[in-house]
Amino acid sequence: MKLLTRRVGTYNPLDLNSYEKLGGMKGLRQAVEVGPEKTIERIKQSGLTGRGGAGFPTGAKWESAAKQKHRPKYFICNADEGELGTFKDKVLLDGDPWSILEAILIGAYVTGAEHAYIYIRGEYEDTFRLWEKIVSKAREAGLIGSNVLGSNFSVGLYVAKGRGLYIAGEEFALIASLETRRPMSSPKPPYPTEKGLFGKPTVINNVETLANVPVILEEGAERYRRLGTPDEPGTRLFSLSGDVKKPGVCELEIGSATLRELIGQFGEGTISGRQIKAVQPGGGTSALLGKDSLDCILATEAIKKAGSQIGTAGVIVYEEPQSAVEIVRKLLAYYSNESCGRCAPCRIGTVKMQEIVENISEGKGQEDDILRLREIANAAVKVSTCGLGQAFPLPVLSALELFPKDFESVVGKVRA
Amino acid sequence: MAVAGILFRSDHMQKFTREAYENLLAASGPVNEANLFILLGKVQDTFGYIPRDVLRDLAVRCGVPDARIYGALTSYRDFKLGPEE
Repeated sequence: MKLLTRRVGTYNPLDLNSYEKLGGMKGLRQAVEVGPEKTIERIKQSGLTGRGGAGFPTGAKWESAAKQKHRPKYFICNADEGELGTFKDKVLLDGDPWSILEAILIGAYVTGAEHAYIYIRGEYEDTFRLWEKIVSKAREAGLIGSNVLGSNFSVGLYVAKGRGLYIAGEEFALIASLETRRPMSSPKPPYPTEKGLFGKPTVINNVETLANVPVILEEGAERYRRLGTPDEPGTRLFSLSGDVKKPGVCELEIGSATLRELIGQFGEGTISGRQIKAVQPGGGTSALLGKDSLDCILATEAIKKAGSQIGTAGVIVYEEPQSAVEIVRKLLAYYSNESCGRCAPCRIGTVKMQEIVENISEGKGQEDDILRLREIANAAVKVSTCGLGQAFPLPVLSALELFPKDFESVVGKVRA
Repeated sequence: MAVAGILFRSDHMQKFTREAYENLLAASGPVNEANLFILLGKVQDTFGYIPRDVLRDLAVRCGVPDARIYGALTSYRDFKLGPEE
């Protein structure tokens, strides 16, 4: 199934004409023609949900921002793809940048934003340089600036580069980053659509979410809706990594394949042919699924029922015979480094949990370690304001649930 | 994590001079709060660090307290406040 990736790599990214020859910019022209209300209505009808992890309905987000009276408004494309095991956005940013640019312009136009930003992950150095060139080409072509395509809509687009911080991909931290403040999350509400960048209404959309927008406008909301599941139309890009023979990005119609099929067919099985021990279906902060859940369909609801989260659709595969303690230790080492420090259970909890798991993996575990891990994890889930604090404990809790024996062998009996 | 940043610094670094800095600003869009984070990034990528004078200068020109810029910069891995040894 090729929908979002249909044009990836098929044209020279520095040549706007070749993009237009392939049918590009139709969505933007259509949006300018029918006006903001009708365009938002179409996005709402399509049932498009956010692909950055939280899955918020895009049409509702745009409508809420469009209603705001405060000026100026901002539109941000979040390309700070930082989640572990997720690399789908880079494929779109490098392979089909003009359709992302088109979507940013459509979004800015319909929400009434005067300023747009794209915030690109710092490690994607080549992508950042490409985008600087693309934006200056777009400016020359009259797509950015005043009176875009002869309408009364004017927009400026800034290209910002991340500076190596995971948390800057969280929406409020991203806003703080662009405001030149310490990148930290904030409690919601108010949501960014009410009070975002510089206190003004701001829409933040993930790259993959935006890639859907021109498709919906070209194909029509009804045709788009026929794809995927009724709750979740469309396709998704799955980033497959970990212990598989062929890692990579795979576009699948939502609900059309199971985890086992993705790993077996696209990924050609595990790297050494051994059995799968566990899978994280939604990036490094999603709960582990055991081999009993491999027949789970790749859709938000089904993954949720199985006990995990689809998140960014970064599927990380772990094969036998590694210990769940090891898996969890590596994840905690990463997240303890990346906590922004705002909420105590995340700031202190990541470090404490890392210490405990490290002790366990060195064979110095104590009997109440598991209880303490659970306590800290539950506190962090309940109290933290952002996705990092709420979600980093999930792989730990699921590992304790699924693989108690791995922990028992080092600390004695795991009590429920 | 900062591998890309290191590669970039080694093949593109320029020696910091007031003139080079003014030229960079002239080519980098508006000098205001909305563009400040991007300007700081340009300075970092061009000279390999943010000189103290630049930090103060941009603070005044953008109307942002320099303490706030300092606080922001020091939370990132890829911003440096002095030349690499």
